[in-house]
Parts: sequence; C-alpha cells; structure tokens
Amino acid sequence: MPKNGREAVDQEFSSEELMARIAEGDEYAFEILVHRHQTSVLNLIYRFIGDRVQAKDLCQEVFLRVWQAAGSYKPEAKFTTWIYRITANLCFNELKASRHKKWSQFLRPGANYETRGEEDLPDRSPSAEDLVLAQERNQQIAEALQSLPEKQRMAMILKRYDDLSYGEIARVLGCSISAVDSLLVRAKRTLQEKLKFFQK
Amino acid sequence: MRQTMKCHRIRKKLSVYQDRELKPEEQEAISGHLQSCQSCREQYAEFERLWQTLGGIEEIDLGPWFYRQVVERIKKPPERGLLPALQRGFQLLRAQAIASVLLAVGILVGIYLGDVMVRSDFLPFGQTPAGYLQETFLDSLRAFDPAPPGTLAHGYLQMAGYKGDEIK
Repeated sequence: MPKNGREAVDQEFSSEELMARIAEGDEYAFEILVHRHQTSVLNLIYRFIGDRVQAKDLCQEVFLRVWQAAGSYKPEAKFTTWIYRITANLCFNELKASRHKKWSQFLRPGANYETRGEEDLPDRSPSAEDLVLAQERNQQIAEALQSLPEKQRMAMILKRYDDLSYGEIARVLGCSISAVDSLLVRAKRTLQEKLKFFQK
Repeated sequence: MRQTMKCHRIRKKLSVYQDRELKPEEQEAISGHLQSCQSCREQYAEFERLWQTLGGIEEIDLGPWFYRQVVERIKKPPERGLLPALQRGFQLLRAQAIASVLLAVGILVGIYLGDVMVRSDFLPFGQTPAGYLQETFLDSLRAFDPAPPGTLAHGYLQMAGYKGDEIK
C-alpha cells in the first residue's frame, strides 16, 4: 500500500477496531497496531527493567500476546490500559525471574541501563560532552527509579511518562485508586530525596 | 512562615493536585492557597522540579525490523519435546541445584578434614594404631585436670599441702 494510503488507514481506525480485525486474522491491522504502540510499550518496559535488550525481547513478547489474545479481547476498557496491563504483568514476572539471576547481576555491576545492543538503536546524542553528561544524568535518574518498589515504580512511570489517570493506573495494576494515590505519594517522596542534587 | 493546620492538610494533597486528580473545587482551593502561602508554594515547587528532572530520562526506539521480528516470533513453532522441557526445568531449579551441590561438597570436605585433623590417640574407641597404649590415653585425659602435673598450679598445690614429715 502507498505510504499516504497507509497513513490514512493508520489514522482511520482506533486500536479497538484494529483488534477486531486482528481477531479475524488481518495481519495488516496488526502491523498498524504494532507501529502505533511499539515505542510506548518499549519505553515503559525499558524504564521499568532498565535493560535495552531485555526491553526489546519483552516488547516482542507483549505483541505476541496481543496477537494470541485478539480473539478473546473485549473492548471494555481503553486499548492502552489493556496492553499496559499485559506489559506490567510481563515486567513483574520478569522481575521475579531475574531474582534467580542475581548471581550474574552481582558479577556484572552497573548492568542497569546498560548500553549493550546499542547497534540496534539510533544514536540520539549530538556531541561527546553532551553524551557523557546526559548519560550520567540518565543513569542517576534511572537508578533512582530502579530503587523504587515495583508497584511504586510502575505507577510512577505510567503517570510521568504515559500520563495515565489514577483510574487507568489502578486498572493496569489491579488495585484501588486510593492505593495508586498512596503509591505515587511514596514514590515521589523517595525520588525527591534521591534526586535532590538535580533539583537545586 | 508558620505552618497552619490548613497548610498541613494541603501539603498532603499536593501530589494529587499536581496530577490533577482532585475535584475541580479542591483543585481551585489549593491553587488559591498556593498563591497566598509561600511555604506551601515552595513545597509544591519541589514536586514540579522532580517532574522536570524525571523528564530528563532518555527515550529509546526500536529498529526498523521490529515488526518483522514479532511476526517471525509468532510464526515460530512452539518448542516441544523432552529436551526443551528439561532445559526449562533446569533453569527454574538452577539456583537450588547449585546450592545442593555446594552443600554436598561442604559435607564431604568436613568429613575428610574431621578424619584427618582429629588425632587418633584422643579417640577412646575405634581406631587403635600400632603402639597404642592404655596409659597414653589416660595421660591424655589429664589435660582436663584443674592442675595437671608439671604446671605452676600443680607446684603451688604441692607446696600448700607441704608437711614437714614428708621430707625425709
């Protein structure tokens, strides 16, 4: 399909409508859906897990599950809430599994937010000095985020980077709105303390 | 500025206020308070600074082949058979297996060292090496006397019990 035609289709259908087509085996609808959501899903995982390669693998797993679950998908909630719920569950499971891999983490200090596999990803830094400063800053923010308990971290990422409402976060995490409020207050307090240096 | 009860209540809600999750009238009430209270305004500014700081984290992107990779993964037949199942089982049990092996090695090393390092002439039963004498064993038990022969304590006790008629 020509590019303009493709963009038109991309704009024309909501994600929920695309899911209905995917349930009928429409691969093109699936391609549009993947392109539409891949960056937000990838970055949600990356910010949560802190590893590019793992994030990419899990992102593939998310879309694999979307394809498999298309037949049983019911558009009761927003599609983004549904896909973020799949993503969050995969992230929590991955964290549980990675607790068994503490040996290798211990032997590989500084593995968080590593640069492994960068050849797959576009380079966005303009100069060497900027790169060093940005990486250092990025590393400290990432470490502060990583230090949060998993539910606080996920709630914080969903609020800060995806601007989900408390109700949507509650649906993703499977908890109450007041619990989301409490998770975010605690997360913000911890991050304020850990990132004081940047805030002066 | 002195913190009032109102400030205390408002500060508890600053996070939710920042996320625009309060009822409109509460949002407005807090906005009004922040305009008039410098201390609360400073507290709120910390939330805003944190929000800005967190914005500094990098965003990554996927390569152009991502969709193709997803499709390949979908079309890849699931791994079946005994070997993948065993591999998965081993991955799950790996930590426990390593711990069990280490424990077994520790026990074996302990048994070996215990056998080598404990002197056989201290053993009342069991091994009786050549030249073993009952007297040797009894002498060795004297190590537990409060004042074994040849020690200062033994000498002192001898002197304390001195009786003139013992010297002949």
